[in-house]
Amino acid sequence: MIRVLIADDEGMIRSALAALLRLEADIEVVAECSDGEQAVAEALRTTPDVCLLDLEMPCLDGVEVAARLTRALPTRCIVITRHARPGVLRRALAAGVSGFLPKSRDAAEVAAVIRTVAAGRRYVDPEVAADALSDERSPLTDRELDVLRAGRRGETTGQIARALSLAPGTVRNHVSAVIGKLSVSTRQQAVLMAEERGWI
Amino acid sequence: MSATWWYTFGTVVFFVVMLVLFWEAALVGAGFDTGSVLAAGLAGVLWIAATVPMLLDYRRRDEDAVPVRRRRAFVPLLVALACSLVLGYATGIWVIAAVPLVETIILLNWGPGIRLRVVLVVTVLLAALWAIDARFGIPADGGSTWFLLGFYAASLPAVTILSLWWWDVVLTLDRARAAEARLAATQERLRVATDVHDLQGHHLQVIALQLELAERLMTSDPEASLAQVRAARSSVDEARQGTRDLALRFRSVPLRDELANAVDLLRAAGVAAETTVDRDADLAPAAVLGPVIREATTNALRHGGGRWALLSLARDAGTWRLAIENDADDRESSGDGGGSGLPGIARRVSDAGGALAVEHRAQSFRLVVTVPAEEART
Repeated sequence: MIRVLIADDEGMIRSALAALLRLEADIEVVAECSDGEQAVAEALRTTPDVCLLDLEMPCLDGVEVAARLTRALPTRCIVITRHARPGVLRRALAAGVSGFLPKSRDAAEVAAVIRTVAAGRRYVDPEVAADALSDERSPLTDRELDVLRAGRRGETTGQIARALSLAPGTVRNHVSAVIGKLSVSTRQQAVLMAEERGWI
Repeated sequence: MSATWWYTFGTVVFFVVMLVLFWEAALVGAGFDTGSVLAAGLAGVLWIAATVPMLLDYRRRDEDAVPVRRRRAFVPLLVALACSLVLGYATGIWVIAAVPLVETIILLNWGPGIRLRVVLVVTVLLAALWAIDARFGIPADGGSTWFLLGFYAASLPAVTILSLWWWDVVLTLDRARAAEARLAATQERLRVATDVHDLQGHHLQVIALQLELAERLMTSDPEASLAQVRAARSSVDEARQGTRDLALRFRSVPLRDELANAVDLLRAAGVAAETTVDRDADLAPAAVLGPVIREATTNALRHGGGRWALLSLARDAGTWRLAIENDADDRESSGDGGGSGLPGIARRVSDAGGALAVEHRAQSFRLVVTVPAEEART
């Protein structure tokens, strides 16, 4: 019996998927959660074999939940998403996620992936991988992305410099370079663009 | 853009340096004592140094809050003031003494309209000082050198502002071009949105009818009802696939980026991935090689347990050669997942006149695709 936790903030999808998975002879759904925090708490309580996590959830997203759980438990995580935005698959793989599926897969396929992952293998959906490979490359260096990330809530140059232990002049140079590369006129626009493309 | 900026920066600094050299030559020529000439030269060098941070701040004036900029301008202003005092004391010539302070003031972050007025005022001021100098200050035998020096000094603010104005124009043009490109992309997206709407509308109506029929038939003819439910499910799949095809129609990345993305993904999954890519990789047939990279990467990711992978794209003697090698166990590569798989790739490659070779070795799996390079078409 494979013990499964399902976390999805869309109630209809969650309950339908749970009902369909319960029809499988070898799968037992032990918990249904509607947000990330709850998923972490329930997983720690019930210690499921496989966690099925929606990517877009309030509080913590699927990848963040997976990152916490894979550190704390011997559980394996599958992330499900409606549209894999650029960079998400990379983030998910780095967080130790074992499976990645688009939401469009039907319950029988999801069950097959749960079995694959429970057997210790990894499953990345070809559609998601194709999307991730045809991502637009970020023209920014890691340091420039750090600067944008540290300033995404409108922090001042001084605050960014302190957060990254850089000189304010260096931060300003990075910001100039970013603004030039993305051909926008302010740092805030650069942050918006980078968030939209999933670079930060 | 960077080159344009340094050109502008260089022009302004050049004018400033030339003015300093000019007044040194004039002072020597007019027989000032060595101490005064040296003091004037030193003040000139300091002034040049104070100009540099002001110009650098001009470039990033959009990025910082106003108080921060004001604080940073304080030191150059003080230095310029000191230079002016030293020059005034050493030479006794008003126009030379005033230039450093005036030039630094116009480089402050004035608003567009205000800067023009400031420049007009200081130019008139410098011209007036020059007239005073011409009457009382300068040695009588100076002649045309002093005339030129005064003219040069009085026109420096205007020349500086013209250079910076040129920089602003280039910047505006550059942003306009980028905005135009974004607008075009947005319009394309709107068009796609309309297409998606039409497609979804059509499929949703079909599905609604199929479900309605299933509902009616449920009691009288359960078999037919079940068939309608299955038909509705396949309509959903069709709608989904159609939407995806629409979205993908506009997504094509250069092979170089695709390979770089593949390496990023493999590394994120803990595989030591390396890539070597030919410099002209963007000329390679992406429509044929792209799916190969996708399939191979998906397989390498899916089977896990891999420790290393090598991806290379090279051109030799009229053929493109894409080689992907990894240590993952690849027994299931062609079957599962509903992807195109190796047979699909082989068909696509042979349609393009190329060949696919697969080598299973003891510790590794190697996929080599060769495609003729089509120079004529590129």
